[in-house]
Amino acid sequence: MAATDQFDAIVIGSGVSGGWAAKELTEKGLRVLMLDRGVMVEHGADYTYDGAPPYEIPARNMMPRPLVKSDYFIATHGYVSPSNQKFYNNDRLNPYAYDEGEKFYWIRPGAVGGKSLIWGRWSFRWGPEDFEANKRENIGGEWPIGYDDLAPWYDYVENYVGVSGSRENLPQLPDSQFQPPIPMNVAEKWVKERLEASSPGRKLIHTRLSNMTEDKPEQGRSKCQFRAQCGRGCSFGAYFSTQAVTLPAARATGLLTLRSDAVVSNLEYDPATKRVTGVRVVDANTKQAEIIPARLVFLCASAMASTQILMNSRIPGTGRSHFDNSGTLGRYVMDHIFRVDISGDIAGMTEYIEYGRRPGGVYIPRFRNVGGEEGIGFLRGYGYQGSAYRSPLPPEGFGASMKHGMRGYGPWKFGMGAFGECLPYEDNHVSLHPDKVDRFGIPQMRFNVTFRDNELKMMSDAQTEGERMLRAAGLTNVTSNRREHVPGDAIHEMGGARMGADPRQSVLNKWSQAHDAANLFVTDGAQMASISCVNPSLTFMALTARAADYAVKQLKAGAI
Amino acid sequence: MIDRRDALAGIVAMFGATLFAPIARAASVQVAVIDTGPPSSAVFTAGQRVLVSALSDRVIPTTDTPGAIAAEVPQFIEKLLADWARPEDKQPILAGLDAIEARSRRDYKVAAADATPEQQDALLTLAMNDQLPGGADFFDKFRQLVITGYYTSEIGITQEREYLPVPGKYDGAYPYANVTKVFSS
Repeated sequence: MAATDQFDAIVIGSGVSGGWAAKELTEKGLRVLMLDRGVMVEHGADYTYDGAPPYEIPARNMMPRPLVKSDYFIATHGYVSPSNQKFYNNDRLNPYAYDEGEKFYWIRPGAVGGKSLIWGRWSFRWGPEDFEANKRENIGGEWPIGYDDLAPWYDYVENYVGVSGSRENLPQLPDSQFQPPIPMNVAEKWVKERLEASSPGRKLIHTRLSNMTEDKPEQGRSKCQFRAQCGRGCSFGAYFSTQAVTLPAARATGLLTLRSDAVVSNLEYDPATKRVTGVRVVDANTKQAEIIPARLVFLCASAMASTQILMNSRIPGTGRSHFDNSGTLGRYVMDHIFRVDISGDIAGMTEYIEYGRRPGGVYIPRFRNVGGEEGIGFLRGYGYQGSAYRSPLPPEGFGASMKHGMRGYGPWKFGMGAFGECLPYEDNHVSLHPDKVDRFGIPQMRFNVTFRDNELKMMSDAQTEGERMLRAAGLTNVTSNRREHVPGDAIHEMGGARMGADPRQSVLNKWSQAHDAANLFVTDGAQMASISCVNPSLTFMALTARAADYAVKQLKAGAI
Repeated sequence: MIDRRDALAGIVAMFGATLFAPIARAASVQVAVIDTGPPSSAVFTAGQRVLVSALSDRVIPTTDTPGAIAAEVPQFIEKLLADWARPEDKQPILAGLDAIEARSRRDYKVAAADATPEQQDALLTLAMNDQLPGGADFFDKFRQLVITGYYTSEIGITQEREYLPVPGKYDGAYPYANVTKVFSS
């Protein structure tokens, strides 16, 4: 179908990273084909339940249990509901494998825009320490870049995206280019004041969120309207998604071709020139396969899917990937560990209530192993995401007294959950299943990923410290719970094709460029050599914009 | 390697229209769509259906706002149990309805649906206090069904409570004195 020189670059995946790659490459003059395996979703027009009151959503927005069991048994861990069902992967149609006794929740989107439509939108910069820890502790692979390499690219993407938050001057959590923060409520201000006084050195700050508090008329986007229905798609364009932000920019150049329902099975490679020569694409509906030639490929299919595509690009007859001369492909897979939650009651302030439904909440940045702290029994750290709220009164008995008794709100409560950094372990790995293939003939991904002693100790500490801090701040009835820690559950899976300076120890160089193919860039979560404890998407955006800038310069210089 | 879809296709043809739904789903490459029509199969007998309606009305009666029947809560309950729940979810509800029915015939000599509202309240109270077989379990689950159906209905969301489609602002210290109804989410 495609003539040889129809496209200068192919971007695989249209999520957070793919959208940024398409925007940057087209704006620099390249003719770009962006592929996504999911269905088409157009901004606004295809947000079926945007603005619908709950009673107009099928099944009152509750997933039918038989449908969850048959088709969405993994997506259910990723907050699928009838109002956003078409944005999610169908787990029956697209299976994966893990060995007996192990678990991995591979929570995937199923539409153009990828996880950018359904993400949590918490947006943080990494700090200098995050890039330096691997080297200092001699764990995993050394990062070939530092904070200063990425800082200007954080500036660049933040100014375009619109990130709301407050300046705090914290070394472990550098400030972004912020729009004004979404306000704390009266009870959160109360907790902040008392927590910071009773636990010196700890901070409770505004959320940092890719939901805007100021309009961007030049992008046709409005600020957040406080509906808290982000996951259905937002016609106001108030939060960052491919559809609202990067896709319109790429289309405005006239240089973008977007193809949905396009499943990439592998990359074609010429060992003589050490270049990717094309992308093999299977039409999800017709199952017809074709090879589309490419001068430049940006692989942004998501951490695990990009790793799968790389592993399935094999030297004929060997089972070995063209891109795995280092032997590290598929290794050092990580996810944030979470499922420790702490909550408590706040007395008073019942003369106040929240008006509007706010996305986000408040954040307690990492305080462990920063500023020279030592001897706490584990490496790295964690942060907490939380909020204060008042719930409607619960039912008592039945009848008119119950009905009228529910016409009010209970006291303020505060709840928070910890997200912790997982260390990079060589044997936390993914591979292609030797026998099982999917409906496109692609070998299924097999996951062998577990949390280890350091992560579990960290979560114990998060539980103990969380309770202690809330009690010290004056909250009452402080309780905590700790549920099963399943890798993938945080939907922050990363690694598999890590970046590094040494081609014998890493898949990508410091420009997110494959050591084994100069015209291949992998700019999603696959490239991460460690994962910090903060939410990752903002860092993928910055790394993608940086890689696109480098790639086009190299292309124009004739080096690619 | 066997193509599972092709193997299934042959079996599917054998059963035709009587095909069991989960098998149909397995055979289809289509993504399942949530069925929002009437219940795909009857969950209740005619008598149970009348009783569910009567008890729903006792849990959330019409007061200064419409109650469960106006909000079509009984229809919601049957639809939910038919198509959104798993088979084992129905059992405590059906067993509880039977226990209430039996107690009504013993104490009042009438079907529970025909008992007076005061008698129905007495039967629900027995269930709530676990003085019927499976009573407390039934009461808890049945009340959940009624509450869920009511507060997600148009009446529940817009009349009993207040719905802000586009709040447009966030105020974290809004005077509670200004709140006349609970905000629907």
